Amino acid sequence: MGDLTERTMDVKETRYKLTLCDGTACIHNHSKAVQQALETELDKHGLKDSVSIHLSGCLGMCTKGPILIVNPGYIMYGRVQVEDVPEIVESHLVNNKAVTRLIITEDHLYNRFFRIFGDVDFFGKQMRIALRNCGIIDPENIDNYLSLRGYEALAKALETMTPGQVIEEVKKSGLRGRGGAGFPTGLKWEFTANQDSDEKYVICNADEGDPGAFMDRSAIEGDPHTVLEGMMIGGYAIGAGKGIIYIRAEYPLAIKRLEKAIASAREHGLLGENILGSDFAFDIEIRLGAGAFVCGEETALIHSIEGHRGMPRPRPPYPSVKGLFGKPTLINNVETWANIPVILLDGADWFNTVGTETSKGTKVFAVAGRVQNTGLVEVPMGTTLREIIYDICGGIPNGKRFKAVQTGGPSGGCLPEHYLDTEIDYESLAKAGSIMGSGGMIVIDEDSCMVSLARFFLEFTQDESCGKCTPCREGTKRMYEILTRITEGQGQPGDIEKLQRLGEMIKHSSLCGLGQSAPNPVLSTIENFREEYEEHIQDKKCRAGQCTALLSYTINDKCVGCGACKRVCPVNAIEGVRKEKHRILQEVCIRCGQCYEVCKFDAITKA
Amino acid sequence: MLTPLQAIKKKRAEAVNRIVSKGYLSTKRVYVGMATCEIAAGSKEVMDVFRQAIANGLTDVYLSQKGCAGRCNLEPTVEVVEEGKIPVKYGRVTPQRARDIVERHLKKGEIIAEWVI
Amino acid sequence: MSQMITITINGKDYRVEPNQTVMQAADTLGFKIPRLCYHPKLSIEGACRVCIVEVEGQRNFVASCAFPVSDGMKIKTNTHALRRARRDIVELIIDNHPMDCHTCERDGNCELQRLAASMGIRARHFAGERKRYEEDLSSEAVIRNPEKCILCGRCVRMCSEIQQVHNLTQAHRGFQTVVMPAYDLPMAESVCTACGQCINVCPTAAFVEKNYTQELFEQLNDPERVKVVQFAPSVRAAIGEAFGLPIGQNMEGQLIAALRKLGFDYVFDTQFGADLTIMEEANEFLERLQNKGTLPMITSCSSAWMKCLEQFYPDLIDNVSTCKSPMSMQGAMIKTYFADKMGIDPTKICSAAAMCCTAKKYEAERPELMFDGMRGVDVVVTTREIAWMIKSAGIDFVNIQPEKADHPLGLSSGAGAIFGATGGVMEAAIRTAYELYTGQTLVDIEVEGVRGLKGIKEGSLTMDGQEIRVAVAHGLGNACKLLEVVRQDPQRYHFIEIMGCPGGCVGGGGQPYAAINTIPLDDKALKKRAQALYDLDRGKTIRRSHDNPDVQKLYKEFLQHPLSSVSHKYLHTHYKAKLPKGIIPKEAKKIEVTQ
Repeated sequence: MGDLTERTMDVKETRYKLTLCDGTACIHNHSKAVQQALETELDKHGLKDSVSIHLSGCLGMCTKGPILIVNPGYIMYGRVQVEDVPEIVESHLVNNKAVTRLIITEDHLYNRFFRIFGDVDFFGKQMRIALRNCGIIDPENIDNYLSLRGYEALAKALETMTPGQVIEEVKKSGLRGRGGAGFPTGLKWEFTANQDSDEKYVICNADEGDPGAFMDRSAIEGDPHTVLEGMMIGGYAIGAGKGIIYIRAEYPLAIKRLEKAIASAREHGLLGENILGSDFAFDIEIRLGAGAFVCGEETALIHSIEGHRGMPRPRPPYPSVKGLFGKPTLINNVETWANIPVILLDGADWFNTVGTETSKGTKVFAVAGRVQNTGLVEVPMGTTLREIIYDICGGIPNGKRFKAVQTGGPSGGCLPEHYLDTEIDYESLAKAGSIMGSGGMIVIDEDSCMVSLARFFLEFTQDESCGKCTPCREGTKRMYEILTRITEGQGQPGDIEKLQRLGEMIKHSSLCGLGQSAPNPVLSTIENFREEYEEHIQDKKCRAGQCTALLSYTINDKCVGCGACKRVCPVNAIEGVRKEKHRILQEVCIRCGQCYEVCKFDAITKA
Repeated sequence: MLTPLQAIKKKRAEAVNRIVSKGYLSTKRVYVGMATCEIAAGSKEVMDVFRQAIANGLTDVYLSQKGCAGRCNLEPTVEVVEEGKIPVKYGRVTPQRARDIVERHLKKGEIIAEWVI
Repeated sequence: MSQMITITINGKDYRVEPNQTVMQAADTLGFKIPRLCYHPKLSIEGACRVCIVEVEGQRNFVASCAFPVSDGMKIKTNTHALRRARRDIVELIIDNHPMDCHTCERDGNCELQRLAASMGIRARHFAGERKRYEEDLSSEAVIRNPEKCILCGRCVRMCSEIQQVHNLTQAHRGFQTVVMPAYDLPMAESVCTACGQCINVCPTAAFVEKNYTQELFEQLNDPERVKVVQFAPSVRAAIGEAFGLPIGQNMEGQLIAALRKLGFDYVFDTQFGADLTIMEEANEFLERLQNKGTLPMITSCSSAWMKCLEQFYPDLIDNVSTCKSPMSMQGAMIKTYFADKMGIDPTKICSAAAMCCTAKKYEAERPELMFDGMRGVDVVVTTREIAWMIKSAGIDFVNIQPEKADHPLGLSSGAGAIFGATGGVMEAAIRTAYELYTGQTLVDIEVEGVRGLKGIKEGSLTMDGQEIRVAVAHGLGNACKLLEVVRQDPQRYHFIEIMGCPGGCVGGGGQPYAAINTIPLDDKALKKRAQALYDLDRGKTIRRSHDNPDVQKLYKEFLQHPLSSVSHKYLHTHYKAKLPKGIIPKEAKKIEVTQ
């Protein structure tokens, strides 16, 4: 999917590309007027065909808006007023001389991608902070990372900040854990730092288990050093000398790139003793997972590193008090670590300007499912679902209607259309009945059955349940059995109530996050799509046409009697004479759909 | 004894030197996306095409790899960056298309619009 | 003295100690929150979720066994939502459990049954697929039935934390989770030591002892057989509990009478065998002491301990006493000395033993203990089994008139009686060894230093100017700890007693299940049972093994003297390293391996 010629400009002729910030603050500052002035001016100089104007989302420099970026050359003009436009066009675009008095040199770490990427439609509304270097640097070459202010945050912390000050900065930034729980990162650092212990550990949770999620994988494959730097800063802040990256074994390339990164860092004296000439010593080790989704849960992960069965344990005590090998342990997600160098270099005050009141910064989403452009998207908190799905990812292909969006992986809920304008942050998604999770976002169109989808997710969580606690181990199995019956046409009155009863109990009684969130897809689909459940149970109908047991194929009047369907039917369920309308025997039909596929006359109705 | 900030600035300078000495300042820079999703789509073969071309005498081109650019449905991706020109990003690059890019874009300067994202 | 804090339970304020869990605090206040996987001696699991309570400010229910109290905490233990959740959780366990209560060993005495009754489960809303597993009948001692397992994890924790054998673990995931030995090996091929502690803590019949009662009843009804039985000291101290009597009542006389009523021709006392063991072992120890033999010497009457040693500490095999256990010595004497004396053909004797121990079932089958082509003991039944047999035969155990054991293998000294308590073997050995070595009477005959429930006890005594350092350990976990010390420092001790079960044999794997309001392994219960034996010892006139006239007669008439060739043939044995799959021997010396 994705029309490569969607641009109206002939790219061969384009000499300049202008990017104008279309964020709220810049609009407030009359960026629209600037845009119009630009268009008029370009027209005047006959440059309309060789200069393209693109609108991007908030570039994060709201105090200096409106912002105009000119490429090639990545010249950034700030505080552009309508009066400045003629001068810019004349001097820069015609005579190739930049207007120096308007140039701003604020070099935020994340701004780099505008220099290289051409497709503003996809990247325009994004703000790539955690993924700032992904797609820009060669991840296997530490020189690239160094050349882009790599490890400067670490140097700054070591030279000019005490551990306490580092923690204060992280607290001030408002960063919240990106693994899904959204716990204030600075607070977690503070708790761990306050523990009195000779040994402490820093762990990076790279056991990304959500099916279809690849945020962490891409982040590590594209920019492993940012994770290492973040962990080192964390180690410095809490007083730890050892870091462990727990990464799932199913990510061999990411593991290879991490190993290479760690080796390079060691070579450069950035890991080991006396880092950058200071007293700080830190080293990082990689541990592989072994195919257990539950080991993404922090206490299960810690048990796995210790060599025990990956089963969670009750908290308190929390890992910050008693974690790996009984020592205070700071454990954060890959994306959280990736944000840390930015916070130290660009400042917590700046970081605070991105996002909403309660959720600062950006979030990476892996958008998949029925959208034009699937991919990895990083947007500031507060972006609406509609913006992501329609503006960035191009909407639903093939003219189908949007049905729901599932956020948070198998632990999240399904949000129907009236939630599309929800501004994404931890609280609003929870209020809507879903969760942020680690960032999975699956778009569902009218051709998907919500009951089947809920069953699919429950199958996953049931399979991955560690089996320790009764509600999750037994309860999800029973819910799964009920859902299977429903999708097979064996649903009974009272099934929905049973699902809700079980789901609520499992949610409130389970030991760990896996169990506590496993019923979410089921409960949210019952909440928002109850009619579909009722249709399955009472009418034995699946409106999306996905549950094969509830489908029936019938031959309609368009049939010309060619016999093509009869020939392909594997169970001889079709009878009929040549040139006469054929008939499908419902009792024999196994609903494989072959007849539907071969019929050239649209004579088979699937319902 | 250098302070950490001084040390890192020195490292940065050295790193930039190394990059430059490897030909970064060439006229053309070619980047091939090499994350797992891209490799699965066939970017390794595409990378080989460019390597082969340089081995066969294609001059003044700096070839490097990148991580995931996020354009997952348009992989493999190849970027051609020239100083003073807008970067060109190609999507759905097959080894054959890569050869065409070598011939038409890198050697002759022709941007192949149909493949541009 | 820490400051008390205030918590609110169900609306009322209470002052409690800090640094404890909600469940612990509630227990002291009389709120007995229902629970399943919790056990005070084992680590906190938080797995069953039956003990959930509502704590204000927490989004979800919390497990009261794990959640710590804090000042100002508001707790609710019995809301409608909680009751429904608990009820549903217990029902979910039952939905994956066989519905064969009437034919189950734990019918009437099952924690799951009691819990379900207290939850008021009257209908099953969520019935579905039930797990299916084969019963593991491979072991002679412990049967494993995964279909009845409710995955509380008590056996895993017991086997790993207290016994430190680490035989059991949860394997696989989700609905397929099952507790099993590594590689899903049959129990008989695993590192299981047959100590039976898993049976003691199991709330259902997922672990039970191998039942020989039917076989024994058949033997009892066979007129061709001469039925002889012996019973261990710990059996008499605990069997009353199976009949509802308070813990710690010595039912020796009643048991002997009941056994006779069951149909046994001769009832002997394992305590006689214990005296015999002391004779052999004390002499063995003195011989090693005087002739620079391998020290420290380690006792060998605990069969679970012996399997543990052969598997994990084969380098210390030479340290172990070659003496058989009292039961096996007794069995050997029954089929030789006794049979000969009474003119009975030993092949016609059915030698049974009522033991507190499940490992004794394993021991009775060991080929090394055979002599003249015969086994010393043919059938071993546990306290639970013999209690059931007595009930099943309609014998009024509580009110029966006590009787005395038969001669020549029924008389015992006080030293033999205390064998059941941890430290008892050491104490009995000291009583004899001291007097044999020094020729003087041991005045302080009750050696307090080796009594009590401390995991590893150390002591020393002086015999004729020579300091003898001794150590006592109970529970395999403590045994392993002690043996590590011995490996590092072989000079540290001269004589070591090891009992495989926590508390000693009184806490054996075959003892009656904990009564309704007590828990398994309760320290108070173990102390009371041990006290019954110490009181028995005090009540006897003969308190030293070597003073037992029947033992002296046995030597005069048959064995000649301790450590004679006759003794060696019938009363001693040898041990070999055993390496179940996955165990790698420690390279201490070249060892002969048997699988």
